[in-house]
Amino acid sequence: MGYATSRHIEGLPAPLQRVAGALVDWIPLAIVVVLWDLISGAVVATAILPAPGTVAGKIVELFVTGQVFSHLYISLFRVVVGLGLSIIAGILLGIGMARSDPVENFFDVFLAMTYPIPKTALVPLAILWLGVGTSTAILIVFLACLLPIVLNSYNAAGNVDQNLIWSAEMMGTEGRDVLLKVIFPATIPEILTGIRQAVPIAFVALVSAELIASNQGMGYLILTSGQIGNYPRMFANIVVISAVAFVAVRLFEEVRERWLVWT
Amino acid sequence: MDGRVSISELEKVYGEGAERTKAIEDLTFEVDGGEFASVVGPSGCGKSTLLYLIAGFLDVTSGTISVDGNPIQGPGTDRGVVFQNYALFPWRTVFENVTYGLEEDGVPKEERQSIAQQYIDMVDLSGFEEKYPKELSGGMKQRVALARTLAYEPKILLMDEPFGALDQPLRESLQDQLLDIWGDLEKTVVFITHDVEEAVYLSERVMIMTRHPGTKKTVSEINLDRSGSREEIVTSDAFADYKNTVWKSLHEETQTEVTL
Repeated sequence: MGYATSRHIEGLPAPLQRVAGALVDWIPLAIVVVLWDLISGAVVATAILPAPGTVAGKIVELFVTGQVFSHLYISLFRVVVGLGLSIIAGILLGIGMARSDPVENFFDVFLAMTYPIPKTALVPLAILWLGVGTSTAILIVFLACLLPIVLNSYNAAGNVDQNLIWSAEMMGTEGRDVLLKVIFPATIPEILTGIRQAVPIAFVALVSAELIASNQGMGYLILTSGQIGNYPRMFANIVVISAVAFVAVRLFEEVRERWLVWT
Repeated sequence: MDGRVSISELEKVYGEGAERTKAIEDLTFEVDGGEFASVVGPSGCGKSTLLYLIAGFLDVTSGTISVDGNPIQGPGTDRGVVFQNYALFPWRTVFENVTYGLEEDGVPKEERQSIAQQYIDMVDLSGFEEKYPKELSGGMKQRVALARTLAYEPKILLMDEPFGALDQPLRESLQDQLLDIWGDLEKTVVFITHDVEEAVYLSERVMIMTRHPGTKKTVSEINLDRSGSREEIVTSDAFADYKNTVWKSLHEETQTEVTL
């Protein structure tokens, strides 16, 4: 919610503020849906841009018939595993590079080289190595999510207040324990920022991989729906995966806020 | 008494080749166990470097620093440092900050809690145990930092302009609190400051350092009658005399700074 709107809302009684705030948040989306409804059938043929009502009906159908669930599960599984692996590897790599010159020298060149490559461009290569399926999708999600997490933890771990480290050393913390007891906790806020950036990227990478290299998953459903000309179903699947990604981001932000009471 | 710091022919050089700068040169100084000694000097004179060398954060280039006759080897729990920026662990509550050193020392949980509580009470922070550092004012943060350092019972307190970021009334109240604690606990204190009045008010001896490369210029013994109130002390003639002596010696150094 913007600053200007929040100022208007502050004038309202407290219970109304929450409701009004929520409404304001959803106005842009409502406008898009209304425009979509107006354009569909009038400016653009319903065959290629089905009306929102039709798509909503398809979404209900997808869930009632249960045909979406197995695909949604496999997609979520791929996101969770790919993102999970990138979090573990990203933190280790980021902190390792920040605190050790050999590690930094070794990985710096790889990061610089892989940074500009769109990770989804590696799907054909991943198929060659891992075949069509879950492993390929996980690899692409992992690679796409790795960079934001590495870069955020790398920067933060390199900028930890030296006095914090010295204080801990003075109190008897030595060697690897400094990483665990000072550097890592001090870096948590930026690590979570990196993960926050990675969550939507994970879904982008997932769908891109599934569009090309999968026989299951939401990306596969979108592709096959389009191939058989069932555009309402294709749109329905796009809306479902977008909504899932949106909820994932919001949930993560909620968790982060609770975790970071100390910042 | 334990806690004697002996600095002998100390030299500290930063960098190499053309970048080479001598921060400290030929400095010999001794702080007795239980003594309160301040170090004042113009900015850039190496007084913080001196403190970090005593702490063991930096390596000496030549010369020795010993505690009770044993040359120091890196940081250690016989010494405790209080920084100007508090350096509290922001992810730990007040209580968890104060117990950190005890955890590292392997003190059992129950004992840890009673010791931590004792020092939190000593710095008048009872009721704030579960707060995080960000919820505290600067003065309170510095009291937590002091409690955290005292809790693991170092013999020597190394303080790097600890009250430099605080406003005058707060600084004075923390100075008095520090003097009370020093009187009760019999610690050696090495106190770095650029504030002449603060140095004279707190210390038994004040070492003035020369500017670049830093070394001992003069040492002033401060024999103040500290039985009275702050007002009686700071308005006394003796206080003014000590302050003038230290100020003049320091001023000569800052003058050279301007002409350079």
